[in-house]
Amino acid sequence: MSKSILLHYFSMRLKTFISLILLAFFISSGTSLKANSAEDESDEFTEDHSHADIQRGERFFKGFLPANREFESCISCHNIYKSDTLNWNPSAMDIAIKFAGKDFAEFQSAVMQPTGIKMEASHKDFKIEEEDLKKVKLYLDDLALVGPPSAGPTLNQIMLFILLGLLITFALLDLIFFHKIKYRAVSVLILIVSLGFQVKMVATAAIDLGRSQDYAPDQPIKFSHKVHAGDNKIDCKYCHHTAEFGKSAGIPATELCMNCHVLVREGTNSGKFEIAKVVDAYETKNPIEWTRIHNLPDHVFFSHAQHVGVGKIDCQQCHGPVEEMDIMRQHSDLSMGWCVNCHRDTEVNFMDNAYYDNYMKLHDQLKGGGIDTIRAVNIGANDCMRCHY
Amino acid sequence: MKTYWRSIEELANPKELRRVEVREEAKQKSMLMRGDNDLNAASRRDFLKTFGFGIAAASIIASCKRPIDKAIPYLVKPDEINPGTANYYASSYFDANEYGSIIVKVRDGRPIKIEGNTLSSISQGGTSARMQASVLNLYDDARLKGPLKAGAEITWEKADEEIMAQLASLKAENGKVVLLSSTIISPSTREIIKKFTENQPNTEWIQYDPVSASGILLANQKCFGSAFIPDYRFDKAKVVVSFGADFLGTWLSTVEYTKRYTAARQLQDGQKEMLRHYQFESGMTLSGSNADVRFPIKPSEEGAIVLALYNAIAAAKGGTVVSGVQSSVDVAELAKDLLENENHSIVISGSNDENIQLFVNGINQLLGNYGQTIGLDKPLLTKQGVDQNMDRLLSDLKAGSVKALLVWGANPVYDHPLGKEFAAAIPKSGLSVSFSERPDETTALCQYVLPETNFLESWNDLEPKSGIYSLSQPTIAPIFNARAPQESLLKWAGNDKKYHDFIKNFWNETQFPKQKEITDFREFWNTSLQNGVFETVQEPKLNYSAEGIAPAASQIKSAGSGIEVALYETVALGNGKYANNPWLQELPDPVAKISWDNFAAVPVAYAEENGLKNEDVININGIELPVFIQPGQAKDTISVALGYGREIAGKVGDQTGINLYPSVGTENGTRRYYLTSAKVEKVAGKTFELAISQTHYLMEGRPIARETSLDDYIKNPSSGNELKAEHESKAVTLYEEPVYNGHHWGLAIDLNSCTGCGNCAIACQAENNVQVIGKEQVRNRRIMHWIRIDRYYSENPENPKVSFQPVMCQHCGNAPCENVCPVAATPHSEEGLNQMAYNRCVGTKYCINNCPYRVRRFNWFQYVKNDKFDYASNSDLGRMVLNPDVTVRSRGVVEKCSMCVQRIQEKKQVAKLEGRAIAEGEIKTACSQSCPGNAIVFGDLENPESRISKLFKDKRNYHLLEELHTLPSVGYLTKVRNINA
Repeated sequence: MSKSILLHYFSMRLKTFISLILLAFFISSGTSLKANSAEDESDEFTEDHSHADIQRGERFFKGFLPANREFESCISCHNIYKSDTLNWNPSAMDIAIKFAGKDFAEFQSAVMQPTGIKMEASHKDFKIEEEDLKKVKLYLDDLALVGPPSAGPTLNQIMLFILLGLLITFALLDLIFFHKIKYRAVSVLILIVSLGFQVKMVATAAIDLGRSQDYAPDQPIKFSHKVHAGDNKIDCKYCHHTAEFGKSAGIPATELCMNCHVLVREGTNSGKFEIAKVVDAYETKNPIEWTRIHNLPDHVFFSHAQHVGVGKIDCQQCHGPVEEMDIMRQHSDLSMGWCVNCHRDTEVNFMDNAYYDNYMKLHDQLKGGGIDTIRAVNIGANDCMRCHY
Repeated sequence: MKTYWRSIEELANPKELRRVEVREEAKQKSMLMRGDNDLNAASRRDFLKTFGFGIAAASIIASCKRPIDKAIPYLVKPDEINPGTANYYASSYFDANEYGSIIVKVRDGRPIKIEGNTLSSISQGGTSARMQASVLNLYDDARLKGPLKAGAEITWEKADEEIMAQLASLKAENGKVVLLSSTIISPSTREIIKKFTENQPNTEWIQYDPVSASGILLANQKCFGSAFIPDYRFDKAKVVVSFGADFLGTWLSTVEYTKRYTAARQLQDGQKEMLRHYQFESGMTLSGSNADVRFPIKPSEEGAIVLALYNAIAAAKGGTVVSGVQSSVDVAELAKDLLENENHSIVISGSNDENIQLFVNGINQLLGNYGQTIGLDKPLLTKQGVDQNMDRLLSDLKAGSVKALLVWGANPVYDHPLGKEFAAAIPKSGLSVSFSERPDETTALCQYVLPETNFLESWNDLEPKSGIYSLSQPTIAPIFNARAPQESLLKWAGNDKKYHDFIKNFWNETQFPKQKEITDFREFWNTSLQNGVFETVQEPKLNYSAEGIAPAASQIKSAGSGIEVALYETVALGNGKYANNPWLQELPDPVAKISWDNFAAVPVAYAEENGLKNEDVININGIELPVFIQPGQAKDTISVALGYGREIAGKVGDQTGINLYPSVGTENGTRRYYLTSAKVEKVAGKTFELAISQTHYLMEGRPIARETSLDDYIKNPSSGNELKAEHESKAVTLYEEPVYNGHHWGLAIDLNSCTGCGNCAIACQAENNVQVIGKEQVRNRRIMHWIRIDRYYSENPENPKVSFQPVMCQHCGNAPCENVCPVAATPHSEEGLNQMAYNRCVGTKYCINNCPYRVRRFNWFQYVKNDKFDYASNSDLGRMVLNPDVTVRSRGVVEKCSMCVQRIQEKKQVAKLEGRAIAEGEIKTACSQSCPGNAIVFGDLENPESRISKLFKDKRNYHLLEELHTLPSVGYLTKVRNINA
């Protein structure tokens, strides 16, 4: 993991930018990149089934077929699109990947002969024609190949920015050439307000650059801190056991998950599907690829040991009410101002740690009553060298 | 006061030189990397760059998406590995005849740093620059990726099958097999070779060293009946006389010798006695520049001088005086000094002439040094090659009587004087196999190339000295498809054992019984592995015989006339095996301060007579070499380094410098590393650019280096350091004195212990991700080393006195750089460090201009991931060596010594967690930890009991440019010379 600073991601961001513009272009002209690629892929399958079969499978999954269905649609439990709240049930993509290489019989038995409390309850009154289920499987296989449909980028910000730009241009043109608006003050007002808004947008974006407060990405397993740390009251440091003495708090090894999950194979919320992923990872020796949430820049050297081990700070102080989070998210903005402010306020446990015996002058001042507390900032916690080297 | 100078030009006209330097520096500062033609023109590319930057900047603001990072935990976490925490493993280094017991730092599965192992009685916690740089070899793209047959890939199974079939048929017809290796000091490997030989009876094993110690080995064979290199105890010596042996730089076991030599010379803690060092030599070597008395001589004069010294001592001690050629140097004073220090002196010679070595032995015997300062109980085993064997091998190869040649760690095509003949003869053997880690001139000619694992990937055991054992253990799984050659030999001898099992078994049978403390083998093995070393005591059983002396006298010839060329190994590159290591290529030679090339060092007077300037080209016996005027070079001699001019080494080493091995001569059957009656001509109108850095970062001729003589020091400990009192008495300041509450970190550097070897520069480079910038940029005065070792000359330019001084950021209490930074990127810390926040730096370089010590470095270019700087950091593999605890600086920021703040933070953390104060010596900077001279001490100046606080109170302690009242946290102790009054 080499550390490189400054303009490292330029080329990548440039690509993102260009692709966003291209995407906007495709959307507006009515063509979809996704559709194109899907068609390309489907050509390979024409021998066994038609594109129409896949579409029929998709419509069945989404509940449009059959017209007179008496049971819940698949999509009502199994997401196709990303959602902001935690849906405990496996998503369409999850299922698609799980059954991608397997035959229909296995898929059928999984759907029709549910195991586990949760599944038994929800898959109870399924009367699905085998033909329909086959098409659903075709659809899912296709989904595994093509990937989940894009929810489309949120272009609101850019659109707004461009709109404001247009407003400014219009106001300027009117001021200089056209003079259509009766009161010049209106144009000036539009100009100032739009420009101000644009500057604010840029400034906010610039300040947020590299920060990702409230970042809560999808994880490969629907792991809920609420269930583990909240409901079951497992100590944070049981899993993140290097937090006290290492720089990194560490993500627990799969082996550690298995300490409990060797027995606990079914969850109240998630049923068997999610836990099976952990067991599967352990048994097939494929480590789980979590999506990293807290990520400090490469030039910051933060140590959990200092804060948890020495400073005895609660995890929640920085990470927020983790025990209430189903989806883990970054609670604090992790900005330097946030670090520095905390150092200014935090009192150091100065008397009980023999390391601080070195600080003779401060001890003398404490005894002499010159000062009453030592805060982190007093012993250099805000020096550059503490975190940047 | 004494005048110090760094180059001949400075001596001639200091003012003019400084003017030129200032002009050059100004030019370099305003120049980016462009061709000479378009210095001022903004090119189309510049426009595109600016344009691209604008677009990119806009796009960041418009669409900044953070990249999705994955966090992949272990499936099953090994107990001892915690992400972000380093593990340390004891291991051993042995390569190119250099041994060191080491500790390997492994971060997240990657070995990234090598430290010395303090438990070893040989390297005693020290390392050499080469050992430090060896970790980079592990991540070298040039390494062989898998077994090859005639240049095409082959599987191990297929290669084994084919080779074993050929060996079997050779066995049937009793065809001769030769195993040609460099010196092997592994007892278990020797056992394996024995097993191989038993299985393949007509096998000859030849050990070959490019720069051999044949002379010493053969002389000791005659004197003691055993070919060995004795154990030189410099720490017990009071007088050392060296004839051309650069024992601090390149001769035999330099780390060990430096440790012992400096121990006998350091004057801390009230020590008043000091070893006196005489050096006879042609070129200015590291040992010569540290000597108290230095005699510049021609290489061919050495024999006569040794003979005269022998006679002078024999006459005084009642030994047999032999007649022989006349000495050109009067040795009466020297003999007197030696006789006054009987039993406490050492006489050594670097000559490869057996006859000279016989007289050296004779002198040591007469002085009673054997058993006192020269131990016979622990012979050094790191050089066992005898030159005659190679000559025999060559004639056998030519005759076609060698049916199979196995080459391991030897590269005779490059480094044997008759390399071309070897190249022609190797294909004549029916089967040629090379076990080599990397392609070289010899592997190119071998049928089968079976890659060897790097020493950091392999098991091994070593016996560098008789009875002193050490173990190597793998610190990373083999990166490429390589295999230990031991395993190949075992397999071909019909034994399918893994080498690890073999070693363990071997130790159980042979080493375990040598001790009695531990009764369980497993415990013994684990202890030895953890310690890295296992040392036993041996009784010497050798008796001296003077028989060889008399006939040798007639063999010593008188000095020749004409110009002689001395060939030497360099401190950085050694015999040339490490030519593809960019750290070592860029390390300036300790004395000449030239990197990236070898050159012809000519005497000052010779240059004047022949109108030679630096970078002119001369022709020596048909070889064109660039000229460097070397103060102290003996009259009528020229010195040229070996180990350059590799043909097949890799992107860094290829065609760097010129190969002088073909010029090495032979005399009495052994190699002779000098040429007589050389034909030297100036090549008119031709020049060659050298990366000479001796005048870079001048400190304007101010009294930076301070020194005194031992006599004066004993009379007055402050002698040579009178300026300090004067400066302190005149100290006036407008600034507040800095106040430190807890710690105040500092360094104390004993100039009397610093030999200038360059270990600290490479240690720092490895620890702090200092980048290599290449020859052109070194010429442009942009070398990135955070620690530079300044070398000063004084007195007579024909034979000057030399001082070395490592200079790094002085971490001033009133730092001039801090006040001028417009963005507060370099403030002062509560702990006395001058901090450098790279991400705040905008590259105004004001701090560089305001630093009186010239220690700040600017990143003129992006040195990482840049094809224009195609060194280690331009490949994913090469970047594996980077220390994850130190930021890699990008273009446009200033960097400098941080006093290894990452190490300070790490150890403070440990102490806080354990709720205790930091122990003395617990924190060590990279430069201080592995210093073979113990010259650098790091510590807390706020702690009055600390070693550094005591050294700062020493009368010899001074600071650079005290008159500026910058209050540096780095102190220097005056150099003391032991010169006869």
